[in-house]
Amino acid sequence: MFKVTTEPLSIDEAYAAVRRDDCGAVALFAGVVRDHHDGKKVLSISYSAFQEMAEKEFARIAEEARARWKLGAVWIAHRTGALGIGDASVVIAVSSAHRAEAFEACRHAIEALKKMAPIWKEEFTETGRSWVSG
Amino acid sequence: MIVTVRLFGPLAEQAGKPRLEVSVTEATVGAVLAAVAVAAPALRLDRSVRAAVNTDYAGAEAPLREGDIVSLIPPVGGG
Repeated sequence: MFKVTTEPLSIDEAYAAVRRDDCGAVALFAGVVRDHHDGKKVLSISYSAFQEMAEKEFARIAEEARARWKLGAVWIAHRTGALGIGDASVVIAVSSAHRAEAFEACRHAIEALKKMAPIWKEEFTETGRSWVSG
Repeated sequence: MIVTVRLFGPLAEQAGKPRLEVSVTEATVGAVLAAVAVAAPALRLDRSVRAAVNTDYAGAEAPLREGDIVSLIPPVGGG
């Protein structure tokens, strides 16, 4: 349910992992490589991670969400390596009995991941390369 | 005590290597950070850099046991 992988991320896999008979809602979030940043044309992004710690942080973030909302299941996956425009870098899926909890927990998970997960982004643009945080 | 320090992202690039070893007399994260600053002056170790002991974030006061690995976590960019 929590992984850092060099393989392409699958929305279907995330959906199947969290869908449950007692849950009427599945919220899915995909973070996707965009073609621009700060007015510059982005060519590609390279993500690297401290994998063991990142996966542990994903599990901790899910526990934090479970403590706040009544949830079915939580799936968090982040890709590493070289990604092109349009590739999904992160997929989060949350199921719950009703939609409000799934939406809120999914939002919480991506915001927490962006602050806490030990993952780094190197951006390649027409003018060069740089580390991007936040 | 000899402590292995792992570097990630821009810090690994600044150091030109992903890990280094430092020797400390006081077994705390803070002592390791001070030793790293001396051993690798090229590293930009400002307040934005967090530390982890093994796979958990840890403050400067956190104690270290023999074999613990300290990781330096520069500002993250996942998502």
